[in-house]
Amino acid sequence: MNLGIRAILYSARKWKKTLLVFCLLLAITTLVLSGLAIADAQEEQAEEVRGTTGASFTVERDISTGGWNGNYSTQEFMSEDMIQQIAAVDGIEGYDATLITLPRIFNDKGEELAHENYSFYNYGSYNSQYHELFLSGRFELVEGTHITDDMTGSIIISRELAEWNGLKVGDTLTGIYYPENNTPEVDMKIVGIFDVVADKNDQVNMYDDASYYAYSSYVFCSMDAAEGLIKGWGEDGEGISEAYYYVTDAAQLENVIREVQSISSINWNNYKITANDEVYQNISSALSDTGTLITTLIIVITVVSMVLIILILSMSIRSRKRETGILLAVGIAKPAVILQYVLETLLIAVVAFPLAYLSSKQVAGTLGTLFGKAVENVIVTPEHFMLVAIVGGILLVTAVLVSSISTLRLKPKQILAQME
Amino acid sequence: MNLCKRACLYSIRKKGKTLTLLAFLLVMATLMLTCLSIQSATETANANIKKALLGYFTINAKTLENGIPEDTVSQILAMDGLSGRYTLRSYTYATYFDADGNLLEINTEGAAQVPEGYENAGRVVANSNSQEDSYFTDGGFEMVEGNPITTETGSQVLIHEKFAQRNGLSVGDTMLLGNVEDKDKTIPVTVAGIFTNTEKQDSIGMAPSYDLYDNIVFTDLSTASFLLYGTEGTTNVQYGDFYVNDPDELERIMTDVQELDGVDWENCTLTRYDNDYQNAKESLEGLQNIVFIAIAVVSVICFLVLALFLTLRLRGRIHETGVYLAMGISKGSVLLQYLLEVILVAAIALVISFGTSTAISHQIGSSLLSQVTSETYETVDLTGESETAEEPTEDLGLAEIEVAVSAEDYALVWAFGMVLCVASTALAAYPIMKMKPKSILSQMS
Repeated sequence: MNLGIRAILYSARKWKKTLLVFCLLLAITTLVLSGLAIADAQEEQAEEVRGTTGASFTVERDISTGGWNGNYSTQEFMSEDMIQQIAAVDGIEGYDATLITLPRIFNDKGEELAHENYSFYNYGSYNSQYHELFLSGRFELVEGTHITDDMTGSIIISRELAEWNGLKVGDTLTGIYYPENNTPEVDMKIVGIFDVVADKNDQVNMYDDASYYAYSSYVFCSMDAAEGLIKGWGEDGEGISEAYYYVTDAAQLENVIREVQSISSINWNNYKITANDEVYQNISSALSDTGTLITTLIIVITVVSMVLIILILSMSIRSRKRETGILLAVGIAKPAVILQYVLETLLIAVVAFPLAYLSSKQVAGTLGTLFGKAVENVIVTPEHFMLVAIVGGILLVTAVLVSSISTLRLKPKQILAQME
Repeated sequence: MNLCKRACLYSIRKKGKTLTLLAFLLVMATLMLTCLSIQSATETANANIKKALLGYFTINAKTLENGIPEDTVSQILAMDGLSGRYTLRSYTYATYFDADGNLLEINTEGAAQVPEGYENAGRVVANSNSQEDSYFTDGGFEMVEGNPITTETGSQVLIHEKFAQRNGLSVGDTMLLGNVEDKDKTIPVTVAGIFTNTEKQDSIGMAPSYDLYDNIVFTDLSTASFLLYGTEGTTNVQYGDFYVNDPDELERIMTDVQELDGVDWENCTLTRYDNDYQNAKESLEGLQNIVFIAIAVVSVICFLVLALFLTLRLRGRIHETGVYLAMGISKGSVLLQYLLEVILVAAIALVISFGTSTAISHQIGSSLLSQVTSETYETVDLTGESETAEEPTEDLGLAEIEVAVSAEDYALVWAFGMVLCVASTALAAYPIMKMKPKSILSQMS
């Protein structure tokens, strides 16, 4: 009888035992596969957490290397091209720059809007959602949309301003900066309304220009509108002097900055870069602790699984001592006996491994929803499967070989005599 | 022969099998215990992340006649959930005199106006730690000489470099701060340090004289309290920023604070600042869920594997069962014998597992520690030529992560382990027990 047939016949005859070993293999393989998927998901999730820390860098004109005309720096301003060029670097999630103007603003009937002290404090902005005031939570957009870099002639205003003047999203306002210098009138459509969350009465704010204006008088307009407001007025006094870039993954901040610095068309002598990732620095050690813990957990699971498989197989082989003795006594070669055992095990594994691949895809999701904690990114990939199948296969063969050694070292007579 | 004796004899006779079972149970118990200790460690890590995201609330008591009294501040600090990190602030104006009571000169160049009564006055900023004031953290102020103010008392001031030059003051000199309205109310202070601004003030031409950088002085809270409220010996403050451990609890803590006596909370403004946490909240929960699912998967599959293994083991003993039954031993006592064997081994395995899992947890714990040390080195070299305002990572008072097997976890594993051993042995034995001895023995291969 050929050993292949013997292996199949044994597995079929002892189907209950085969089924048990199969179930064990299935369970353990599922465990390892889920473990690998969880390790990857953790990596991804940690990256997501890092992405929420608002790690950024600021590019600003370097006053120290530029000229000084007595009143202000003559260092070159940032050009729109340059700002967009940097924004296109990989790993940058969003950016903003500000061009401050102090315009007077009128409604469509030509009446000046009612407001608190002074005039309006207007931030020309590319993507207002990345403006410091919104990112820090001091302002919160409650209606409409943020200013984005593809908008033209748009403005967002505070809720107070909207209420005092009966304004709503979709209305048009007109801004004039310096009428005496013949700057043009600029029409802007209200695209959004924000709420002031911060406490402006807190005197901690009092140190710069902006702090003399009431928050309700702050407005954000699209960059083209801000440039329109200063058109025709002094050429060198106004421009964009700073731009802020937010990265997707705080851990990559350094690399992104390096890449930005390698843009050769920008004269880096005139600009400087400042990194800001304080929040990330604060949480990074605790976050990597979580990562290490989960990785360790997966390693422990994998090692334990290997030990379990060896234990199970050695137990199953050891219980077949008598059979081994008989097989040897009827003149079957030792290698053939071992090969038969290996074959039996592999037969089970061939079915168990693919099934584990399918079941592990379900396990994490099912368990998650069972406890109301769904996680989408626990995904078992074909790579995981390949890894487990190859390592698992080798492990199984080794385990069978090792556990057969003790029996096979003996003569058939000794084996059979040893039996009870 | 009684069944206890039989169980013991069996276990000893079949050393190999007993050892395999012991090894199996030991590995399982160790795995479970390690999982549980890792889980509680990730909870600590998670709490650390929440704490490091620095959720805080600010009390603005500017409009109150007496600000926030010292007692209230200590009551708030004693509340549950506060991290112990806090900043107290007061702002006022004062007229500057030298030690002999002569008026000191302020800078008026670039001022929008010099308000009446403020010809020799400037803004007074008091902070628990002058280095943490926004002028220093965001406004580009830097110390050039002397030390920052870090105590609440001590009658000290920091003055601007130009103010010091204009009035011939240096570190160690004494000057007087006077109430702007009531000129007789003065307090002597020592110049503890001199600062300068690295960024140009952008509100020149807009700011009144007293807000100009040159005219600002920093002082301690008790001096400001004297100028603002006329207090002596006790310190009242205008503002307090209080940091909490868990930003999720901000709402609760703020409500509790407003129930304290001694302050007219109606006229105070309480503002919560937890934007960093709100941004990270969702992804952080995702991370926690992953940990939870990992533990759940391990537990469920562990139990499954254990049950299967015990079944497999018992099936190898059908022959033996048939012989026992044929000898007239009751089914109940045969089952009991099997249970006893498993329980005996399980008990030994569980006892040993405490040692092994503690050793493993310890190993994990120390690897975490070494990782922290190596990371601090990593952050030192950042972005070569770009300018970095990298300060040494501040101590946030984070809890040290301890990976240890807790008593509850151990008890839990004991209970579950035992129940599982008994249940799966009983279940596996059930089909065998159902049969007659004759059919068992004839079924044998």
